[in-house]
Amino acid sequence: MKNKAVICLLLIILSATQVFATGQRESSSNVTEVEIWHSAQGSNADVFDSIVEQFNNTVGKEKNIRITSIYQGKANDVLTKVNAASGTSSLPDIAMMDATAATDMTVSPYLVTIDSLGIDTTSILESGLSSYTSEKGLLALPFNASALLYYYNKSLYDSLSLSAPKTIAEMAYAVSKTGLKGLNGKLTRAGFIGIPTTFELSTFIGSQNGLSYMLDNRNGHDGVATKAVFGEEGTYKAFLLEWKKVYDTGFYSTATSGTTEEFTAGRAAAVLASSSKLATIINSAESFEVGVSSVPMVNESATGGTVISGGALFAFTENEAVKTVLEYLVSADVQAIWSEGTGYVPVNKETYETESYKRFLKDNPLYKVASDALLSSNPGMTNVWVPSAYSIYYSFQTNIVNFLNGADIDETVSEMEEIINSAIKTYREQN
Amino acid sequence: MRFKKGSKKTYYQNKAYLYLLPAIAVAAVFYWYPSVKSIVDSFLVVNQGGTVIGYAGLDNYRRLFSDQAFLHSIKVSATFILLFVPANTFVTLLASSLTRRPSRLSFISEYIFFTPVAVSLSAYSLLMREIFRGESSVLNHLFGTVFSGISTPGGAMAVLVILGIFLDFGLDYILLMCAFRSIDSSVIEAARMDGAGGWRLYWLVEVPMIKETVLVTVFLALKDAILISAPIIILTEGGPFRSTETVMFYYYTEAFRSGNRAVQNALASMVLTMAGVGMSVYAILKKRKEALR
Repeated sequence: MKNKAVICLLLIILSATQVFATGQRESSSNVTEVEIWHSAQGSNADVFDSIVEQFNNTVGKEKNIRITSIYQGKANDVLTKVNAASGTSSLPDIAMMDATAATDMTVSPYLVTIDSLGIDTTSILESGLSSYTSEKGLLALPFNASALLYYYNKSLYDSLSLSAPKTIAEMAYAVSKTGLKGLNGKLTRAGFIGIPTTFELSTFIGSQNGLSYMLDNRNGHDGVATKAVFGEEGTYKAFLLEWKKVYDTGFYSTATSGTTEEFTAGRAAAVLASSSKLATIINSAESFEVGVSSVPMVNESATGGTVISGGALFAFTENEAVKTVLEYLVSADVQAIWSEGTGYVPVNKETYETESYKRFLKDNPLYKVASDALLSSNPGMTNVWVPSAYSIYYSFQTNIVNFLNGADIDETVSEMEEIINSAIKTYREQN
Repeated sequence: MRFKKGSKKTYYQNKAYLYLLPAIAVAAVFYWYPSVKSIVDSFLVVNQGGTVIGYAGLDNYRRLFSDQAFLHSIKVSATFILLFVPANTFVTLLASSLTRRPSRLSFISEYIFFTPVAVSLSAYSLLMREIFRGESSVLNHLFGTVFSGISTPGGAMAVLVILGIFLDFGLDYILLMCAFRSIDSSVIEAARMDGAGGWRLYWLVEVPMIKETVLVTVFLALKDAILISAPIIILTEGGPFRSTETVMFYYYTEAFRSGNRAVQNALASMVLTMAGVGMSVYAILKKRKEALR
């Protein structure tokens, strides 16, 4: 009889999980629920929640729409989960992801493009739109723009009469001055921390000779790229040669995780990070004043400026509620709240004209650095759409560190080319 | 159960199979079908949406083995297994040996050593990441040490082994403790009468008697070491510089993050086949051993 009881129990458990699995999407009465998966962390998450709450209490209440926002980890974690949920009922209505999602989303049968939702995008930044435009149309609605920035310990730089570096060579000089070593020869303060990877390289390589690409087909935007071009154009090599100067100072830390934390703890004098981290970094750097500047140029002819990055909203449900929510999130006022709270550059051009944002920039000049950098950049500068993006992200780090530790430069470049080309080849065969 | 007449016998036999039916149904849907599909798909070209668009032959496997990142992940997995399995066995055996005799205060050590079972994997991993974060970690702050933690390849591997031990400790400890305590007291008393005590009693009488359980914990550790990926996702994301990118983590990035079906199916089929072969060998050996008895 024991067996029977066990089987009964098993069946009950099984049926119970079935009930829960299907009951997930239940919503009360006539209220349409719009589920958003986002990646805002730290103080950015608080701002996002307040925007959502404001919607639910105003527009949402009027139109019977309720946003449920769920934090799903970093932007790449959101993509992982979206991919895993594709084709199931747990796919959200809207997901906030970044450019790494673009290649997957172009082929996703579940994506609803912004064009088909019929959203008016005339007030959205052109560079933002172009960074999410593919052959299929506008894949996602840009939600926040950001630029890579050079964060430095301004108190320390000032005390040594150093100014923010304009080129990597100048940066190497600053690193040699700001680094510190203990008696045992170990770094107690790095002059710079972090290893550039895909995101940083799209600016370091893209800005060379006015405008360069890492991959053909305009970094994969005009259809999937067919090969890497940074080898034959010599742009990656030019970057590596300059970067070696920073490494050779001996005050360079090759850490790949927790770099901004090391910076805010005062254990590194400079770091490269997205402008989206500005608010968090300023808030957590208690012992010194934070300075920011645009990314140091590889050389004098690297005048392209910086790549626009940042998140966009990908839709998976086609209805009025989703359209209303998306329009609300990129409206001039909401963009002002979001940008002032996070340091992101607004994607709505009308936001720059609002009194509140003007006043905000006047009071917080650090926030102006990113928008100035973006607005003065070559609009052709674009992020990289490459398959196997994560694997390539890690490969770049390993590749660069191997070079810094003495590997041959030409072999380093061609090894990286091969890795990318083979990922592209696999992808093209499959899709 | 009684087996008197032919008809009754078959009835009972069939009834037994009937009991198994739900389990078989679950296994068929959630295990056998996906396994067979993976193996079949590994010889085909499948796009990200899951549609078959061509025949690949052995190309998927060839591609997998020409990927430097995959070959590197095999090395990392092997290193982890070689470090983790012996260290885990040693630590759990040591802890359970030292606390094996029941006493009035046993509940304290048992409470401390059992609790790891109740803490979730992700909570432990997050905790470890904070404790060993780099040179400005909590650990170094408290003790004035300069352990590099997860910021260097060697440190990251060491932290991963420590984390692995923490994760396996609770269950292994309970198993070993139960084994030690279930040794027939008459055996120990007899050994004592014969003059065995202390180390000799432990090493020559008690340990051989719990040999089977130790073997179980070793196999469990081996399984966990081969399959480790979730703690890595939280602790190091495979870094720094792919130093903690095990085979399963490589599988996770390629299959789940990059949607690379070629790698996904080829690797899944390989691991499945290896596990199948391993289990069959184990089962055959066990049968033979039983037959010898």
